[in-house]
Amino acid sequence: MDISFALTGKGYVLIAADTTAARSIVKMKSDEDKIKVLSPHLLMAFSGEPGDTVQFAEYVERNMRLYHIRHNHELRPPAAASWIRRSLADSIRSRKPYAVNLLLGGYEPRERTPHLYWIDYLGTLATVPFGAHGYGAYFALSLLDRYHDPEATLEEGLATLRRCIDEVSKRLVVSPGKYKVKIVDADGVREVEL
Amino acid sequence: MSIMELNGGSVIAMVGKDCVAIASDLRLGNQSLGISSNFEKIFAMTDRVYVGLPGLATDVLTLREQFRYRLNMYTIKEEREIEPETFVHLVSSALYERRFGPYFIEPVVAGMQKQPNGSFKPFIAATDLIGCINFAKDFVVAGTASTKLFGVAEGLWEPDLEPEDLFETIAQTMLNSVDRDAFSGWGAVVHVITKDKVIKRTLKGRMD
Amino acid sequence: MARRYDSRTTIFSPEGRLYQIEYAMEAISHAGTVLGVLAKDGVVLAAEKKVTGKLLDLSGVKDGGYGGSGEKIFLLNSNVVAGVAGITADANSLVNYARQAAQRHLFLYNEDIPVELLAQRLCDLKQGYTQYGGLRPFGVSLLYAGYDPNYEFQLYHSDPSGNYSGWKATCIGANNGTAQSLLKQEFKEDMGVEEAIGLVLRVMSKTMDSTTLGSEKLEFSTLTLDPTTKQPKAKIYKPAEIDALLQKHDLGKKDEDTEMRA
Repeated sequence: MDISFALTGKGYVLIAADTTAARSIVKMKSDEDKIKVLSPHLLMAFSGEPGDTVQFAEYVERNMRLYHIRHNHELRPPAAASWIRRSLADSIRSRKPYAVNLLLGGYEPRERTPHLYWIDYLGTLATVPFGAHGYGAYFALSLLDRYHDPEATLEEGLATLRRCIDEVSKRLVVSPGKYKVKIVDADGVREVEL
Repeated sequence: MSIMELNGGSVIAMVGKDCVAIASDLRLGNQSLGISSNFEKIFAMTDRVYVGLPGLATDVLTLREQFRYRLNMYTIKEEREIEPETFVHLVSSALYERRFGPYFIEPVVAGMQKQPNGSFKPFIAATDLIGCINFAKDFVVAGTASTKLFGVAEGLWEPDLEPEDLFETIAQTMLNSVDRDAFSGWGAVVHVITKDKVIKRTLKGRMD
Repeated sequence: MARRYDSRTTIFSPEGRLYQIEYAMEAISHAGTVLGVLAKDGVVLAAEKKVTGKLLDLSGVKDGGYGGSGEKIFLLNSNVVAGVAGITADANSLVNYARQAAQRHLFLYNEDIPVELLAQRLCDLKQGYTQYGGLRPFGVSLLYAGYDPNYEFQLYHSDPSGNYSGWKATCIGANNGTAQSLLKQEFKEDMGVEEAIGLVLRVMSKTMDSTTLGSEKLEFSTLTLDPTTKQPKAKIYKPAEIDALLQKHDLGKKDEDTEMRA
């Protein structure tokens, strides 16, 4: 039931994920953070099978940190994306695969470019200008087709994101109440208020 | 729901006169939901050998990475680039290694094969998902639109097409076939390979 | 007394030394010289070939050279070339290991392996052979000339103990002391590749035993950035190209007939 969106703009990537932790039909928690900060310029929204999600996200987080410590530099977004994809692609053919879908947003200070990757539990990886997971995708993707602009300012990007969230609230039966939004750009990562 | 049709996508290769062409669509989907319209499925293995990998998208990427690994080792040790016919056997054995838990990909290979006298001969082939090779003289197809591609190619293809005519033939075959397939489309890409150069063209397609 | 500790790589002598490693290093200091210089826009490697003679079949080397079919210089990955000094058979196995390691990194991360990481991978292997039982260490030192986007052009050296270090200019093999001091005198901080090639050839001609340099005794390579693609481009020179380069720097064999005519 998790919903996550991400979109690129001029020099940034915005990622939004709902904050509901549910079990069956019951909301257990409404301030769950489903966007991990993997490194100073890398964000990852995760959704899917409860349990697998946090376990896998922390596994990725610690491995990114380990690479940073071992080699004195962080993995560039494309390299991080490839490594994460590999983990899921290996996992899907293992005895107990992780059922985790991801949106990976990064910023490369050297080349001053935003990167966004859509990754699913099979290990499918697509480089996209915008992406979404969960039921929200069915509403948001067509809106993003119409309104997304890769050269948009942060204000414009947030407005587009707000459209997606509003549409889901309006049309989806089981829509979540709250979202957390994070941005990654030249200044690193931070949370933004909608 | 068939796993071969989860992400969608199609590839076709054709033989021409001293040239070959290989084309694919650009869609990546999740059943009926479109995810990306620039998901390339054709990869250059050498300057003269191209492979198209339609099927399950995670395996498209995995096989592409695996072929690159094996090919780089081949090139650095042999000190020469691989020939298309040799490469097809590499593909075949890589797939058969997973006979009882296969990669869900049906590869298509197109390239110019070096002859003993130094000239080049067009070469195309395709395999099924466990590596059974199909050498063809005219064209090979694979992917969710393969049945449609067969029909259109059967009607449009003729022997000894020059590179530009071959481009037009394969482009029209691709574009018209994917219009009858819900899982393929969203633009296409065509590579025309001759002995000394490759022309890559990206085609716009219907976005519905 | 030393003898008792000679045959075991993994056992310290009472003085706290590992004899097998010292012997390996000693073997390397008799091997053909390998020399590397780091320039601001590239790296230059040169190596002295020891196995020569007119009966040696070099037909394979003539038009090959992509991966370095010679004796001493090898392409490890598209962004790293290495020069080896020591036991050639050991070196071949290390080169293969390095190529696999580089491809494994490419497979996992979709990027070329960082140069230092490749050196580390080999050193982990080499160190293992100084510690785990019953084995002989690799009798090989390597110079790695490479490029990666993080630290750009780099030059590393690794020895049989598994130590490695980064250099602006260095030398391994026979006469490495002489070469090192020559390099120390002549190295300039902001050299370009062309200047570095000159320096390498000059030092090489002074340290090698033979009076004249020629492609039958020399291997040569450069690593630069391709001006159009901005990707690293390794060039391992073919014999004819080496001779042309030597002529250009006035270090090649003099054609006696032309001298007589002059």
